[in-house]
Amino acid sequence: MSPHQFDIQLVAIIVAASCSIPGAFLVLRRMSMMADAISHSILLGIILVFFLVRDLSSPLLIIGAAASGILAISLIEAVNRSRLVKKDASIGIVFPFLFSVAVILLSKYARNVHIDTHSVLLGELAFAPFNRFIISGTDIGPKSAYIMGSIFLLNLLFVSFFYKELKVSTFDESFASSIGFRPRLIHYLLMAVVSVTCVGAFDAVGSILVIALIVIPPCCAYLLTDSLSKMIFLSVVFGITAAVSGFWVANLIDVNIAGSMASLCGLFFLAVFLFAPKRGFLAIIREKRRQKMAFAEASLLVSLYNQEMGKTVKNHPDSREMFQSGDLISKVVGFLKRKGEIAVKGEKIFLTEKGREKARITMENQ
Amino acid sequence: MSGIEKNPLIPAIRVTDLTVAYGDKTVLWDIDLEIPRGSMVAVVGPNGAGKTTLIKSIQGLIPRVAGVVSIHGKSYQKQRKEVSYVPQRGSVDWDFPTSVVDTVKMGSYGDLGWIRRPGRKEHEKALGALEKVDMLEFSNRQISQLSGGQQQRVFLARALVQSASVYLLDEPFQGVDATTEKAIVRILKELVAGGKTVLSVHHDLNTVSEYYERIAILNVGLVASGRVDEVFNSENLMKAYGGKTSFFPERKSTRRAV
Amino acid sequence: MLESMAGLYSDYTARTILLGAVSLGIVSGVVGSYAVIRKQSLVGDVMSHAALPGIVLAFIIMGAKEQLPIFIGAALSAVLAVLLINLVTNNSRIKTDSAMGIALSVFFALGLVLLTYVQRMPDANQAGLDKFLFGQAEALVEKDVLIIGLTGFFAILIVGLFWKEFKLLCFDPDFGGTMGFSMKFLDVLITAVIVSAIVIGLQTVGVVLMSSMLIAPAVAARQWTGSMGSMVILAALIATVSGITGVAFSAGFENVPTGPAVIICVSLIAFFSILFSPNGFLTLKFRDAKNMRKIKKNYVLMALYDLGLEHADLGYAHSERLLILGSKKGFNVRKSLLELENAGYVERAGDGNWRLTQSGIREVTDISPMEKVHESTSV
Repeated sequence: MSPHQFDIQLVAIIVAASCSIPGAFLVLRRMSMMADAISHSILLGIILVFFLVRDLSSPLLIIGAAASGILAISLIEAVNRSRLVKKDASIGIVFPFLFSVAVILLSKYARNVHIDTHSVLLGELAFAPFNRFIISGTDIGPKSAYIMGSIFLLNLLFVSFFYKELKVSTFDESFASSIGFRPRLIHYLLMAVVSVTCVGAFDAVGSILVIALIVIPPCCAYLLTDSLSKMIFLSVVFGITAAVSGFWVANLIDVNIAGSMASLCGLFFLAVFLFAPKRGFLAIIREKRRQKMAFAEASLLVSLYNQEMGKTVKNHPDSREMFQSGDLISKVVGFLKRKGEIAVKGEKIFLTEKGREKARITMENQ
Repeated sequence: MSGIEKNPLIPAIRVTDLTVAYGDKTVLWDIDLEIPRGSMVAVVGPNGAGKTTLIKSIQGLIPRVAGVVSIHGKSYQKQRKEVSYVPQRGSVDWDFPTSVVDTVKMGSYGDLGWIRRPGRKEHEKALGALEKVDMLEFSNRQISQLSGGQQQRVFLARALVQSASVYLLDEPFQGVDATTEKAIVRILKELVAGGKTVLSVHHDLNTVSEYYERIAILNVGLVASGRVDEVFNSENLMKAYGGKTSFFPERKSTRRAV
Repeated sequence: MLESMAGLYSDYTARTILLGAVSLGIVSGVVGSYAVIRKQSLVGDVMSHAALPGIVLAFIIMGAKEQLPIFIGAALSAVLAVLLINLVTNNSRIKTDSAMGIALSVFFALGLVLLTYVQRMPDANQAGLDKFLFGQAEALVEKDVLIIGLTGFFAILIVGLFWKEFKLLCFDPDFGGTMGFSMKFLDVLITAVIVSAIVIGLQTVGVVLMSSMLIAPAVAARQWTGSMGSMVILAALIATVSGITGVAFSAGFENVPTGPAVIICVSLIAFFSILFSPNGFLTLKFRDAKNMRKIKKNYVLMALYDLGLEHADLGYAHSERLLILGSKKGFNVRKSLLELENAGYVERAGDGNWRLTQSGIREVTDISPMEKVHESTSV
């Protein structure tokens, strides 16, 4: 691994980790698409501040961008609160507007600067290492690693300081305000944090792919754990893994790094969605089938038992009528036979002592 | 200074001239209500009568056009810790990744204030509350795995942790099983017996007499309030449920000679 | 601006572009109304982003920038994204917003990855593909417009044919189901219509902003009308006007991409409508304030009336301080008193005292239902 590759990965890792932390709360607050809105809207802030200071590395850019992120959120909420426009449409008319203004300003007046429309969408992760942080002649690493590192620290501090407040106001907003917390304040603080994170990440991965880093790792984690702190930790792990593996895949097949990172996020999500132990697609299907089988077994045993007790019916009924699908019953019969709960003689089915006991227990529990 | 007034004549909740409007729609009109200390009060009324709004605006969660609310004779702001609130169960996402005991612990967040984290003491308190609602064995269960009744018990436990003297409940019996309903009523009655005050939005008119001693019948305006055996009658219910609401201030009707 | 418009008309290519903008405007206005009414605005956003990998794949497979395969590729990948969103939300605890965020970003990422891959293909003229990001109407040729027009025509034809069924689907699908219409079929049909509208807009407006071309005209139109029919027509009109204006701007000024120019026009119309339509934000704010004043005035009137009842003299004069203390209203009683004085309902009785006039007493008894409530509760 060359020092250049190391630097790229370092930046990518910090970006991914920073995005995952506030992302967990966005996902739980059902505000994932707000990330879309924020990441598009910050471009306007970046460009306006750039016109003022004419310096792409100015920290003021971050402040301008965060301000325009908050502006977008406030506009969306104002439009939505007027009850004239539904929530989704509010999002859908505000950020494309801000983004369009930014794109036109960009392509008309800022043709020759480092930010062009292409890097807005794609990011410039590959160039990150070229911009070095040099203190009194000593090169101490890529500048973006330091900027992004500070943002990561900010996110970490924010979530650890306000963990309890974030948790209760995300879970139950009206309860949170009834005990004197201010959910609106928390909400705007979170939005500010997301905006700042987007600005940092924007440089590296562009405005659309940052959504992948914010939303997907927490979603993976959400399917794997039932604890909020573990969810945050796991999403950081997923984000970092996607960053590193995305880099190497991009390296291998020579494609855009940010695109490859986001695609790998998607791949991870697909894997988790399918194979997550309790909440995965396959687990859910298996559970549904198991329930269906258990129900079929129980009803077969109980019906046999009832007919035994009824005495009026001959001792060896043909229970096939009970089930609509002959396929299912032969399966159930085979299964119960193997467990030794029924015996089959020719076309007829009998309960064994074990099966009789089980039927009795089933009936008692009902 | 917060705390319970020594003078027993001062009501637990006093609502004066409370009016709430959303836009040009009046939701509560000129409510005057006194809830004596140590009573268990049902708030009933048809859909859209403003029951939830009443509970929320008592706590200042909804801006009011006019009116004053006092808890034990002092403003709600000063007495916030004396009030505990059980929102509608359906108002939260039960897929939220947290455990039963952690949810109950949220009841102590108000006492902790900003930034401080709950510790051992809060944990013990939460377990104690869970024991009261008969949910101790579920304390480490994830909340997504609870039944409706169990969810409601968790919410009640969270309110118990707040160790308040006034309990505001929004439809605590909505969609819960019979056992849970009985258990909740038992706990609420215990609270009342211990001098606490319970105000609960209630839907099922059949159980009002059995569960509550007092009632407030609401339909935008307050139709009647008082002891169940005195005001819970068909005449008042007709006023609230029968016919259309006619309490909008801008509507002019029946001229009456002075 | 006008000159550039005039310049456009005289020019054959310009006519082509305008024709494209007009047909796109009509289609997105009509179809977007359904997306907004069905609360599927953001689904449009997802679909337009998700079209990108389909576009690039079609290009890779066909090896040239052929219009029709690209349309089909775009439509297929957009639909795949929607199907995946449904699969995930129906089978896990992941909520719709997250599923949409995932689909949008991952499909777009795949598209970008493919795009960078295409850039490295030896004889690839990928410049044409880049246009799909932000759109470039200037690049439209007659054949493109023909396909846009035809696709749009079929989309609108379907909307026209299934007008009443789509209405049921939007407003009351359960009821529609009991009437014997297959809501599932209609759902698929309307999604197909929305997808085709997105696809034909991609070249002019671009994948990034196409959703807004659907949403904004419909939102704007919704502010002015409550009927589906006039909403659809108005939205089409707004979208067309914005389309023409945006194209003209983009052609008239250097370095102004078409997509953002069109979106700015249409968004401004939408914001204007939200603020100033008869039910608009500012109009309502004004009405609310009026209503609040009325509620407060009624309060003061009734307080005077109640106090008068206690004194068995409805015209009894009370001090302003008493009114403020006694009512504890928490609002400016004085302001209401002055307004009531102007209306002739109260009058000053000296020493800062106020009393009801005869017409004030009549006014109170006119608000009588509350008064009854008052009697029954204040006892």
